Amino acid sequence: MSKLEIIDLHVGIDGKEILKGVNLEMNTGEIHAIMGPNGTGKSTLSETIMGNPKYEVLQGEIKLDGQNILEMPVDERARAGLFLAMQYPSEIQGVTNAEFMRAAINARRAEDDQISIMAFLKKLDQRMAVLDMTEEMSERYLNEGFSGGEKKRNEILQLMMIEPKFAILDEIDSGLDIDALQVVSKGVNEMRGDNFGSLIITHYQRLLNYIVPDFVHIMMGGKIVTTGDASLAKRLEDEGYAGIRDELGLDIKLTDDESK
Amino acid sequence: MKKKLAITPEQVAAFSIVHQEPDWFAALRQTALGQIEKLDLPIFEKINYKHWPIMAANAPTLTTSVTDTLPEMVADLTADQPYVIQVGQTIAKLNLPSELAEQGVIFTDIFTALQDYPELVHEYYMQVTVKPDEDRLTAFHTALMNSGMFLYVPKNVVIKQPITAYYVQDSTQATDFIHHVLIVAEQNSEFSYLENLQTMGDHKNLANMVVEVIAKDNSHVHFSAVDAFGKSVTTYLNRRGHLMRDARIDWALGFMNDGNIIGDFDSDLVGDGSHAETKVVAISTGKQIQGIDTRVTNIGPRSIGHILQHGVILEDATLTFNGIGHIIKGAKGADAQQENRVLMLSRTARGDANPLLLIDENDVQAGHAASVGRVNEQQMYYLMSRGLSKEVAQRLVIRGFLGAVLTEIPDKNVRQQLTDTIERKLIDGQKSEH
Repeated sequence: MSKLEIIDLHVGIDGKEILKGVNLEMNTGEIHAIMGPNGTGKSTLSETIMGNPKYEVLQGEIKLDGQNILEMPVDERARAGLFLAMQYPSEIQGVTNAEFMRAAINARRAEDDQISIMAFLKKLDQRMAVLDMTEEMSERYLNEGFSGGEKKRNEILQLMMIEPKFAILDEIDSGLDIDALQVVSKGVNEMRGDNFGSLIITHYQRLLNYIVPDFVHIMMGGKIVTTGDASLAKRLEDEGYAGIRDELGLDIKLTDDESK
Repeated sequence: MKKKLAITPEQVAAFSIVHQEPDWFAALRQTALGQIEKLDLPIFEKINYKHWPIMAANAPTLTTSVTDTLPEMVADLTADQPYVIQVGQTIAKLNLPSELAEQGVIFTDIFTALQDYPELVHEYYMQVTVKPDEDRLTAFHTALMNSGMFLYVPKNVVIKQPITAYYVQDSTQATDFIHHVLIVAEQNSEFSYLENLQTMGDHKNLANMVVEVIAKDNSHVHFSAVDAFGKSVTTYLNRRGHLMRDARIDWALGFMNDGNIIGDFDSDLVGDGSHAETKVVAISTGKQIQGIDTRVTNIGPRSIGHILQHGVILEDATLTFNGIGHIIKGAKGADAQQENRVLMLSRTARGDANPLLLIDENDVQAGHAASVGRVNEQQMYYLMSRGLSKEVAQRLVIRGFLGAVLTEIPDKNVRQQLTDTIERKLIDGQKSEH
């Protein structure tokens, strides 16, 4: 079992403090969801855990199995077992999807223990079948010319190929139609097990109908303000962020849309 | 300051006798020799090479090169394809399948061609694409040319197998490599020609190459090159195409040399509807300077000239792309497009991308794009977030950047060869950065 701990995390970008003391603990075998209104720091949290150099940690710690990872560059964190399915994956011309995933897998293995092409292709075929992806997509250049839905699917494909300890899914549901959402969820559910934990960042409760979380955290104003089980997400759907905020007696300004 | 060239007419005449050159050819050399001092060096924007040892020639002499350590790639050459391996002035291997010879294809070294096909060589050699008195470097070339090849493809002949040439500059000894390739594609002919430039040894030498391609009506020449001269060679490399009615040349050029070099790649679109596509990928490493001047001149109506150049610079190296699109008055319906992009990987790398459009006709299409930039941080972050090290991620981004040009190169083997060379140069360059 692995453990990811976030302790009193304060993070800024361009001199502005976005996260104001986030605490979160998760183990493999658990699915956590973080919900929150726009601009509350959900993406800042996921990017900071992964190690995006644009974000500056002002205070606090992130530990993976007791080891502080804040000093580790992004590639080391990835090899230590973290994965971030990004909201806006980059397009890389000239590098095929398959070749990229093989390089990613091999980056985690010793030089004399690289995955064989046969084993790789077998795994790739199996995972692509789960995600209803055509073989042709593995030979296309990484995300190049992919539709929004194809990119999200491709993020989940990478997740399934790399098999990290912890995967952060940053608004994997945004811009997806219901069919694509189901496929993406199927992929994540396939990963569920004792050796896998996931932190799902979402704005909408809809995704959580397909990937049922063990814990739901509500984030507002740069902090986790309350935590519950899957029913919390449903409550949020009914009451809105304003309802939860008022119930908790918090003084946080929401955009017009979200305070309704 | 013009340094005096210490080569006498007698020395050049003696070299003409060694090769039993026709009188007109010996005279051409003498005239050119007399012009060297009077002509200026050609000017290439933002490429300052005046202090390079590009003219410090030795007296022309016949040298023999050792050919028993041939490049590895030779193993891939098969008897059914036309190929040549030339080391310095020595032809190590030359193969022309008999069915091609029967169709009238000529593929032979330039001195043999002067003996066996003097009229053909006389008609084209430094007459059509490049003139001896164009500038000091072309005059120098004409006076002192010491090796080369002649390729002639007759009317309506289509050659399936790529014609492959290895020109290995010999730096195991002090000797100039003044090399000429003359290619004549007669009407309706079509073929692929691949040129590999390499170096053996590490003596300091100069190379001066002129490659002429005369593409007659409706011919189609696929010209590819993997230029990989060594560190100790200072080079002037001029490739020039002369395209007649509806002719087409596809240039796919990999500029991967280790030493200082000027590449001058020009297409004169003389005929109506002629078409040149020039694709260049380049990598500069170490402290080297590579300058590339690519020009397309639209003279014929409805002619098309496209330039696509992408280059990467590591360490303290310099890479300059000049793209020149010139549309002459009367070239109605002409199309001149170009894209020049340079990616710098270190703070000390120097890069330039200069597009230049000169348009003297109204009814045309023309456009250009240029950029000089650094590696995209977002792409690096994305790749590294999957566990790839910074070095591997960088190589992938670069490959992608150059891939925009590489994918446009039709021949799969050439593409693979360029990809491998790029990978090797990047790994070497990265090593010295850490």
